[in-house]
Amino acid sequence: MNLFRSEEHTARWLEANGYEPGKTITAGKLCDLAHAWWGDRLAPDWRPHTRDENQAILQRLGLTGQFWQLP
Amino acid sequence: MDARDIQIRNHVYGRFVELGRAPTFSELRNELGDDVGAALHRLHDAHAVVLEGDRTAIRMANPFSAVPTPYRVEADGRSWYGNCAWDAFGIPAALHVDGHISSACPDCGEPIEIDIRGRNPIRDEHVFHVVVPAAQWWDDIVFT
Repeated sequence: MNLFRSEEHTARWLEANGYEPGKTITAGKLCDLAHAWWGDRLAPDWRPHTRDENQAILQRLGLTGQFWQLP
Repeated sequence: MDARDIQIRNHVYGRFVELGRAPTFSELRNELGDDVGAALHRLHDAHAVVLEGDRTAIRMANPFSAVPTPYRVEADGRSWYGNCAWDAFGIPAALHVDGHISSACPDCGEPIEIDIRGRNPIRDEHVFHVVVPAAQWWDDIVFT
């Protein structure tokens, strides 16, 4: 799960390392995802997210399809 | 994971924030008691923390990393490492403060510096790539 300067840099790195392309999102969307996913991590009343809660976070941000399906 | 496990988990996170590093098992036993080791093993199995392979040290309390990574995060006057780019963004999010992420493009090595202000990157010019499908993230969380 890496940050790149651009999609061009991502594609070059994937090819150089022999990885199949996964999914790319903007840093802005990643920031939204991070807040939704980790925002309660230090809360005194923290409890684990359920699988469905995490899937709902991904869906709310438009991260849908087989690639984003949690087990 | 019972109430005691969550109490220990919350203490680990609090100490990680305070220290800028993972607390050791020895420190945690002194602070919390002799049941810490077994609790940390249960928390690892529940994906609430990640232990090193020999299960005697904390590797991750996501989004915080116990080992140096390419994702350095400064926030609230302190600094930590994130386990990956997602976690790096997660540290200011978890702390509910602005922050700064320092990394480098894995392709070309050029520095990447990102300021987070008010829950957004100041300049939304970088991209984040996930290689591993979500269904496999925990198959090898260190690689993911």
